[in-house]
Amino acid sequence: MLWQLLPQAVLDGLLIGGVYITVALGFSLAFGVKHIIDFAVGEWIMLGAFLGYYLQGWTGLDPLLLLPVVFAVFTAVGYAIQPVIHRAVSGRRGNPVLMGLVFTFGLMLAIRGAGLTVFGFFSHSIPSVMSARSWFLEAGGLFVTVPAIRLVGFVYAIGITAVLHWVLRHTDFGLAVRALAQNRDAAGLMGINARRISSWVYGIHVGVSAMTGVVIGSIFSISAQMGGDYTILAFFVVVLAGMGYLAGVPWAAFLLGLVQSLFLVYGNPSYTLLAVFAILYLILLVSPRGLFAKGV
Amino acid sequence: MRRSRALWAGITAVVFAVIPLLTRDTFALRVVTEAMMWIGLAVAWDVLGGYTGYLNFGHGAFFGLGAYTTAVLMMRGHWPFALALAAGGVLAGAAAVVAGLPTLRLKGAYFAIATWALARAVQQLALVLEFTGGPDGMRLPPFLNPQFFYYLMWALVSVIFVVLWILLEHSAFGLKLQAIREDEEGAMALGLKPTTIKIQAFVLSTVPAGILGGVYAYWITFIDPASVLGDLVTDQSVVMAVFGGLGTLVGPAVGAVLIYAFKTFFWAYLSEYQVLYLIILGTVIALSVVFLPDGLIGLLTGRGRAEAPRSPEPADENPPELREAAP
Repeated sequence: MLWQLLPQAVLDGLLIGGVYITVALGFSLAFGVKHIIDFAVGEWIMLGAFLGYYLQGWTGLDPLLLLPVVFAVFTAVGYAIQPVIHRAVSGRRGNPVLMGLVFTFGLMLAIRGAGLTVFGFFSHSIPSVMSARSWFLEAGGLFVTVPAIRLVGFVYAIGITAVLHWVLRHTDFGLAVRALAQNRDAAGLMGINARRISSWVYGIHVGVSAMTGVVIGSIFSISAQMGGDYTILAFFVVVLAGMGYLAGVPWAAFLLGLVQSLFLVYGNPSYTLLAVFAILYLILLVSPRGLFAKGV
Repeated sequence: MRRSRALWAGITAVVFAVIPLLTRDTFALRVVTEAMMWIGLAVAWDVLGGYTGYLNFGHGAFFGLGAYTTAVLMMRGHWPFALALAAGGVLAGAAAVVAGLPTLRLKGAYFAIATWALARAVQQLALVLEFTGGPDGMRLPPFLNPQFFYYLMWALVSVIFVVLWILLEHSAFGLKLQAIREDEEGAMALGLKPTTIKIQAFVLSTVPAGILGGVYAYWITFIDPASVLGDLVTDQSVVMAVFGGLGTLVGPAVGAVLIYAFKTFFWAYLSEYQVLYLIILGTVIALSVVFLPDGLIGLLTGRGRAEAPRSPEPADENPPELREAAP
């Protein structure tokens, strides 16, 4: 029977769920602090992936070594864009948060169009030395294959999550970010430069997303159209977790990864997105503020 | 002022009515027909997006739902066009209730995300289902009468516009929507039921989209998931409404005409650069949000100028939800 496939399906789900953490982490952070829904999150992933692709072609280095460069470049991009977003959300309209939404929606369209123009419609991959390797485990008549690059992706995701957690909990910067998320006015009165911190937060979001794009490129493939798929993944994870509730993101990401990989093995792959959507719908009906009811 | 506006609307309607009598050029007729369709779509989007402040990023899904319902009922069920069209509108409205029930209870961010995801799910569904023809799409019986479709579109869009005008500008319903947009809790305190009203607005916004989708399907005679359920319908409706002026009826209509005219020229003369169109759409949306928060119509009526110089002091970082704390 198919139950022999179960360990492999669960392992795949967990490994890929790990990557989904980083797809959604920056997004959730940006929402928690700035109340910005970033429709462009998938496009940042796409742009990061292509920067990694070209840098690799240019330098010949392993993509995993290029991660810090991609992070630095896109943190700068995010830092620079944040003031414009701020301007969009500080208009006098009844619901300025929604203007931020429209703004990032426009940003998404523009980046996607630019990506299609510059990068074309072809798919690429960013092979790492780890891409070809895998380990084969056997225990009690059950077999699992652990592709090295997926394990690397998982470790990367856990690492980023741990670093971000440490920064938020144990540094002055993290304290300022949390203060800002709690109460902007009070944070300002305590001498926190809201503008600069916001720019950093958006910068980190863009940087982490772009870096994740490179990792995704060395696991799967990249194309200029890939952005939308990852935006929707980020949405799913964040809504499941509860909007702005960072601690829920890893669990939601694992759940999503598991659902996907189990559906791939035991269900019809073309219905995967629909199944995920149905689950999300039910959760929104039962517990509108995410799995843990901690969302905004 | 009010009477002159009604006069202008009447003149516009009459001008559109006589256009087919003046030209025999089927291309021109086609362009104007589609322009009217976009007016309808943009104005309908604005019911929820502009008046109520809830952004529907899945407008195209309801358009496509109407198109597919009409096509499936006509081809598989052999229904007459008028009935199938009505069914498309009803189904789009029902889908709005189903989608809105869990999401419209929450803040607008959830709704925006959910509708965007819904559009993808619906497109995926049309791709995998048997009776929709999957990726091959569907062909409808050709009914090659441009005049018929012109007048049908004209009549439908006029009805949509007038109905929305009455409901949004001349009845309490429009005020309720705006109350929810400006301050949902305040509206609740006044005894309004925001969720119910928002769902009503959602239905009011999606039924026209579904009906227009049905007409489009019969008119173009071929639909597939990429054309009627793709992102472009949503993208264009949003940019038309935002660029024209949110929260008005004339604004989105003007935006629709301008953006559609631009698109027609662009695709006619620069057809090999179609993806550039996405860049332009995106840039127009983003720039209008930053520089023209009230759209073109805001510029014309002077509202835009009064609001342009914003945030003189650098410390103005208050998120809107904290602003009410200030006296």
